[in-house]
Amino acid sequence: MSSAVTTPGKSVGKSNYTIPVGPLHVALEEPMYFRIDVSGETVNAVEINAGHVHRGIEYLATKRSLNQNIVLTERICSLCSNSHPEAFAMAAETIAGLTVPERGQYLRVIAGEVKRLASNLFNVAILTHLVGYESMFMHIMQVRETAQDIKEGVFGNRMDLGAMCIGGVRYDLDEETIGILTAGLDKIEPEVAEIVKTFKTNGSILRRTKEIGVLAKEDAIACGVVGPVARGSGVDYDVRREAPYHVYDRMPLEVRTFDDGDVWSRAMIRLHEAQNAIAIIRSCLKELPGGAVNLGTKLDIPPGHAVAKAEAPRGELIYYLKTNDTEQPERLKWRVPTFMNWDALGLMLRNAKVADIAIIVNSIDPCISCTER
Amino acid sequence: MNFLRLFARNLREGPYTEAFPFAPAPTAKRFRGKIEFDAETCEGCRLCERVCPAGAIKMERTAEGMTFDCWHDTCVFCGNCEFHCPTKSIHQTADWHLAHRQEDKYRMVEHGLIPFQVCTECGSKGLATAPAAGSANPPLTAEEFQHVKSLCPKCRGKFMRARKTKAKA
Repeated sequence: MSSAVTTPGKSVGKSNYTIPVGPLHVALEEPMYFRIDVSGETVNAVEINAGHVHRGIEYLATKRSLNQNIVLTERICSLCSNSHPEAFAMAAETIAGLTVPERGQYLRVIAGEVKRLASNLFNVAILTHLVGYESMFMHIMQVRETAQDIKEGVFGNRMDLGAMCIGGVRYDLDEETIGILTAGLDKIEPEVAEIVKTFKTNGSILRRTKEIGVLAKEDAIACGVVGPVARGSGVDYDVRREAPYHVYDRMPLEVRTFDDGDVWSRAMIRLHEAQNAIAIIRSCLKELPGGAVNLGTKLDIPPGHAVAKAEAPRGELIYYLKTNDTEQPERLKWRVPTFMNWDALGLMLRNAKVADIAIIVNSIDPCISCTER
Repeated sequence: MNFLRLFARNLREGPYTEAFPFAPAPTAKRFRGKIEFDAETCEGCRLCERVCPAGAIKMERTAEGMTFDCWHDTCVFCGNCEFHCPTKSIHQTADWHLAHRQEDKYRMVEHGLIPFQVCTECGSKGLATAPAAGSANPPLTAEEFQHVKSLCPKCRGKFMRARKTKAKA
């Protein structure tokens, strides 16, 4: 695949190469293929080739009933596994004109924020691993492990919470699980504060992430990036604030932006959102009203179509659902945050060093499973 | 981050990993593991079979009655069956011990049988399912429940209708 080409006009010893990165590569967690043209150590152009984990889930969804699709959509991706059924259920509820009971809405926020906390810590941990700061990686993964314990204790599974159902949530909190939740948060909160401090001061992290993979604000808008990638480039957009769903309008939501648009800014946004998630969960627990958590299992979703969107840990997730007279949806389509974000990789990687490719790719927190479904 | 302090803490507290399989691994009470089926309380509505996204649940009419099979090697442990089951005859246990040898892969099945019975009123054959008592008003008493359970579908309908007119009067 790689071929050495000497370009006329370039200085001696600096030759142009095309190097393949992926789909199976030590520094990439997801199967993605990059064809990178380099000149010496510097990236000239990037070509992204996708399709390695296409599983035909959109088609599969039209062969499953709406109740089965709650589970299927949860398994599209592991790290946003709560946001998919959430947005899917919201679309179904819009079609049927259902209102989720208030307690159910609070519980949906709690499930979503627990996932965001764990997902963001995971990405930041991988960043430290790619930087080469292995002890920090182990430490952040251990902090995240506490979030995993919360998920196992409260929801019964480490990744797929199984929290959502059409018309509300499937789980409820009692004294014991609230205890697990608060004890876990009490443990994570000071640790995340320490991690933030390290990210602000540690030389190895700063040197490898500051002014690396810069995405200017104009480029961010042009690419239509979403989530922490957008906010790291100064685009002040968060679905939870722009189009509040559930009870986010009552939450202490704090949308922070950075203007630098580098890898470090995106990591800091994720860490801040992890901290904010803790504050949101705490506020949910304080205000948690009583009552039903869902509308029961016998719901009728009439023919119709609707769009729903939610803020997944990686950014704006949009679902389109079209139902007909049958139990199965006629069409289910979703646009995932990574689809918007990976386009910006071409700009971020321009003039980057070969050694920074993995760090920059990781900084958009790519989820190829969602994107290629 | 003060790594020396962290180092001292980790040294004091020891490894975070569990000693499993040499010691039991702590399992959350709510852990969603192996499926358990209770044929006694099952109404035989087959809703679990319909909502199972993986097609792991099969209910079939055989010569003995209605069989229930949940294939644990196909199951994704989502808990949809438990959520939709009107009588909670299916539930997920906290048991996650599912490692098995290749030759046992077709034996990782939760099996149940709702047998045929002879109706105590008319003597015809019917499934010994639990009566669909969810909509009964007033709710069935324990004796009534056992009585209805011993009937065939036809006699059950007759009994419930008679009960309804009596309750109205």
